[in-house]
Amino acid sequence: MSGSAGRRPGVDAAPGIETVVARLLTVGTYLAIGLVLVGVVGMLRDGIAPLDHVAFPPFDLRQIPAEMLALEPAGFLWAGIVLVMCLPIGRVIVAGFGFLRVGDRRLALVSAGVVLVVFASIAAAIGLGG
Amino acid sequence: MTAGLVLIVGGAAAGVFGSLLGLGGGVLIVPLLTLGFGLPLREAVAVSLVSVIVTSSASAGVYLQRHVANLRLGMVLELFTATGALVGGLVAFMLSERVLAGLFAALLTWVAISMIRRKDPPSVPVAQTRTPVAPPEPDLERPEPELEAATAGTLAEGAGVAAPAAPAPDAAAPPPSFADSLSGPGYHVGRFPLGIVGSLFAGLVSALLGVGGGIVKVPVMNLVMGVPLKVSTATSNVMIGITATSSAVIYLLRGEIDPYVTGPTVLGVFVGASFGSRIAGRVDARVLRWLFVVVLIYTAFEMARKALGL
Repeated sequence: MSGSAGRRPGVDAAPGIETVVARLLTVGTYLAIGLVLVGVVGMLRDGIAPLDHVAFPPFDLRQIPAEMLALEPAGFLWAGIVLVMCLPIGRVIVAGFGFLRVGDRRLALVSAGVVLVVFASIAAAIGLGG
Repeated sequence: MTAGLVLIVGGAAAGVFGSLLGLGGGVLIVPLLTLGFGLPLREAVAVSLVSVIVTSSASAGVYLQRHVANLRLGMVLELFTATGALVGGLVAFMLSERVLAGLFAALLTWVAISMIRRKDPPSVPVAQTRTPVAPPEPDLERPEPELEAATAGTLAEGAGVAAPAAPAPDAAAPPPSFADSLSGPGYHVGRFPLGIVGSLFAGLVSALLGVGGGIVKVPVMNLVMGVPLKVSTATSNVMIGITATSSAVIYLLRGEIDPYVTGPTVLGVFVGASFGSRIAGRVDARVLRWLFVVVLIYTAFEMARKALGL
């Protein structure tokens, strides 16, 4: 990414930030898949049939730890799904801090903007009676 | 118990096909869940979005580790894909299932046409040293000179597209603009406003139909902005995660994500995509592609019937 004249702090630092972000995504994906795997094994153990089209357990963030402690499959599945969704957000936050650290304020601001849009999605879903 | 295994196998099949053909998987998962397993379309889109995030995160990790993707460009464009996805996620709840099915039929038709039109890559041996977390595109391990042509041939989103890499800016050029700072080695990012519009549209499509949106992003970056195809593909993969997350959270909080369907499907897609990338070098992509075109046309027909209420 280097090679151009002038100061390009974020550009020159991008490979280092990419490496950190890559590790976060790789480790996080494995962790999320691990949680989902435990949940699926629990489903098979409990004989849960997902295609019966009956009501499924509602999403409640506060209930997830208790469900996991009780070894309920839904707890592990929800934890995995939430982690899956947190990974891209975490990636943006980590990259944003990385760019801020090397003095690339524009990219740091862009990162903040992306996170804001995601939070706007959450707010919109809650506001619409989610 | 059987249904859970069926979902895993179905997800794995979608993952293998998606990986071999360079698709994120959403184009396959949504029809599988709706036409195959009778899930409501909106619920299928929600499941697909979670699957798409998983494959995107896995492949993005690999792309970023190898510095193939342009993180800076991706982060700027994803501000707009995420905005489009936010709008799409909200609009999706205002549209009827029949309208969504019609839109999906149109998308499938477009993908099928793109696949028919694209050129076959030259046969290139592939090294079998894949990382455990596999990117959807099966061509990352190719030697660099071949990678460009090979990706052009196996990525549906960039169908029939050569990589018109713009020349790099001269070292003695004036002070770099913001767009300049997003450029990479050997290419210059141009036509930024058009890139923004394309990114907004990609986000909208992703949220409405549960796909990654690469079908829009890759051509926009490659053809419109002058980013090489290999970099466009990798950057699109990095962006897909946040694009899909922006709408997936809406589906999650509105109670459209069924963990009992999502779990096995995601697991299957992840395993299938990893497996697909490992066998990519041994599979005749041309035969697979034509088989897939038939499947796409049939699925588009069924979706169109659903849309028309026939």
